[in-house]
Amino acid sequence: MRQTFGVRSRVPSRADHILKPMGKPSTRYYLLLVTAGAVALWFFLAWGWQLRYGLVVTGLADWGTSGGVPWGIYIGLFIWWVGISHGGILISAGVRLFKLRVFYPVARLAELLTIGALSIAGLFIIIDLGRPDRVVTSVIRAYATTVHTSPLIWDVTVITLYFVLTATYLLLTIRHDIYHLGRRLPSYFAPLYRLLTHGYKPEEDKKVERMAWWLAFAVVILAPFLLHGGVIPWLFQLIASMPAWFSPIQAPTFLSIALTSAFGSVVLVAYVFRRVYGWTEIIPDKAFARMGSVLSLVGLFFLWFQLQAIITGAFAAPVGLRTATEAKVEDPIYWTAIVLVAAAVLYLGAQTIWSALFSVRRVVIASIAPVLATLFEKTLFIVEGLENPAFDIYKAVPGHYFPTWVEISSIFGAVAMLVLFFAIAAKVVPVIEVEAEHEE
Amino acid sequence: MEDNKGLTGSEFGEEKNERVEQSLPVTQFDADLGKEVARDARILVAGGLSEVEFYQRYHQAYLKEFGIDGRQINQGEGNTASESTFPKQISRRTLLKAGGVALASILGARWLGGKAYASGPATGDNYDGLPLRGEDDQPQQNGRVQMGMVVDLEKCDGCLDCVYACQKHNFNSAGVLWLYVLAYRDENQDGRNFLVRLCQHCSNPPCVKVCPVRARHKREKDGLVLTNYSTCIGCRYCMVTCPYGVNYFQWSDPEYQNYYHPKLTDYRGWWVIGNPPKGVMGKCTFCPDRQDDGRGNVVCALTCPHNVLHFGDLNDPNSEPRRYLVEKTKEKGGQLSTFRLLENYGTKPNIIYIGQQPSRSARPVEGPVSYADWGLVEKRLTVLEGPEPWFMKAFGGNP
Repeated sequence: MRQTFGVRSRVPSRADHILKPMGKPSTRYYLLLVTAGAVALWFFLAWGWQLRYGLVVTGLADWGTSGGVPWGIYIGLFIWWVGISHGGILISAGVRLFKLRVFYPVARLAELLTIGALSIAGLFIIIDLGRPDRVVTSVIRAYATTVHTSPLIWDVTVITLYFVLTATYLLLTIRHDIYHLGRRLPSYFAPLYRLLTHGYKPEEDKKVERMAWWLAFAVVILAPFLLHGGVIPWLFQLIASMPAWFSPIQAPTFLSIALTSAFGSVVLVAYVFRRVYGWTEIIPDKAFARMGSVLSLVGLFFLWFQLQAIITGAFAAPVGLRTATEAKVEDPIYWTAIVLVAAAVLYLGAQTIWSALFSVRRVVIASIAPVLATLFEKTLFIVEGLENPAFDIYKAVPGHYFPTWVEISSIFGAVAMLVLFFAIAAKVVPVIEVEAEHEE
Repeated sequence: MEDNKGLTGSEFGEEKNERVEQSLPVTQFDADLGKEVARDARILVAGGLSEVEFYQRYHQAYLKEFGIDGRQINQGEGNTASESTFPKQISRRTLLKAGGVALASILGARWLGGKAYASGPATGDNYDGLPLRGEDDQPQQNGRVQMGMVVDLEKCDGCLDCVYACQKHNFNSAGVLWLYVLAYRDENQDGRNFLVRLCQHCSNPPCVKVCPVRARHKREKDGLVLTNYSTCIGCRYCMVTCPYGVNYFQWSDPEYQNYYHPKLTDYRGWWVIGNPPKGVMGKCTFCPDRQDDGRGNVVCALTCPHNVLHFGDLNDPNSEPRRYLVEKTKEKGGQLSTFRLLENYGTKPNIIYIGQQPSRSARPVEGPVSYADWGLVEKRLTVLEGPEPWFMKAFGGNP
């Protein structure tokens, strides 16, 4: 099988399919826009409420004498969305570096998911701040110093780098498609397309292919090992005050959770597009079966690391860690997460071995479970950690946290924003790579 | 404020006066005046007396007694940034200072007493058992100043005077206890003991390291760990990182916001003093204004009636806390039990406790004086309730 990104003279016959989302919007499309827009607007109003009255409208409070938890679902959502953003680059890496053709049809969707999810993750950092108005000035002024010491700044740095690399990757590969789809693209976006394809020459494809390879290579190292297996767990792992966060396997644990949520989300996004545009041939069953298999594998790692953490934390750990572990295993939310992932792993693993069990619908349902489970796990990780500090002598420790309507709105608001992002992106750029059909 | 209970006559009653007198063995100043001003200062902070009234009531007596009124900062004797910024009228700031000076020199009369006993025989220089460790702690190294405290827990009786003074002096919101006194029982210790928890002003402060914007910083001049209220973005990473739990976020508009227009700045012109604005982190500051204008004391230590808190430069063998350690060691026949809180975390805290360290089995108990007795809120979560829009109320409010 020859892997090319090269130009072929003829426009693919499947271009009709690929261009389908870019046609005249249907009533249902407008309905989707209005619904998602309303939910997103609701969230922005809730955020406005928070900005007006302060973070007191959240369920957060100081730890220590106050009996609260200073970080909650916002930080949980931040990590969760960064985790989801890993789907894109890993699918692309599979396609480009390991020549896994089966994932080719979902590569562009997954890359778009990376961009969308990463933007939302960044937004949650801003939402969590007490003074978001100062973020640009304060951070930039202090950057040269704080980048040496503050894990938060490491996160900002690596996420920015990740975003730039992924966006560049997407931009480079999209130029080719837009050029080749040419006049069949909607004319009202013509200025945008001219901008995107500025200076494009068919001869650049070879070079772009090499660049894309190197970008995929860079990001496949950056995202798993430096971001979710690096600076994001370090945000917690390097903090001595909260024993629950102290673990040498925190980075692999985080990565396993990220990949679980990432593959689950890619399955969901791919399924929605397949369903809406009738792309049963464009995104074949085989793609879902394979994504399901990968999901079962990363889910297995998820469970394995959780087992390790519980065994070491509960058996002969120092008092602080043992207290925190006990609090975790007594929490029904934790077990909900574990059961959801375990169920998904069981089914998805079984369908890998015994193909008679496979159906697209079942894989999709099994993919919803880990996506939800990872959100529970992530939020619990933050909250349980903060509720069980090393210095637990205070009367009010362990604390208590439950999100308020503002925080809960943010979950739905963020999902609505992602829906809007995909709805609009699908109208503007081809969400399936044009060149794929040559290889089948 | 209606709740003046315990703040007028009875609170400063016979028993307390006796205690104060006992702890004032050598002072050339008028202790009776001190007690009077102290009483009124408390009534003032509780809202029972207007600031102008308070100012006028003691102005003459003050000049007579000390020959100088620390409150006359309009005459240009001072050199702090805050003074030069607002020289025109008697601002709230001036009045706060006035109250502060009154607190300083009289309420606590401790300070004066402290000066007196500090003039005893000096043996600090070759003192071996001084619990100072680490390179930063070497006495007088590079002439570096590191303000800190010696807290004699053996003398603490849990009266919460210091907590009240700190809370009111900084106009903090309900439940914000920059200084917190915890009563606990420990199976390894006898009876009920106390832990006075304030910011440890660490020499290796984790909160400073993790701050993404350098708002949390260690002041060069005297090693205070402070928050620049003008640059803090409110990410709360310092609170998450601090192993002592000393940070208190400003979750909503401060209850006494109007007191902090104008902002209280230190000698660098940085807004680091008093309660923080909405969305910004606060914690115990060691009263930087008092360090900058030469008073060199902190409100909590001045207020303590039992000689528990000793504030000063830990690197200076002649400082009050260092001398106190020497005295106390002698008193104990050379065997003094001291500790620093969670020292194994490598934070190099600058609060030296005299007494026994609470162990893992220490459990909080009720103290002799409750926070409610002082009109204070102990568990802030109970008062942190934001406004809810009407449509949420219709749904029955937050879970």
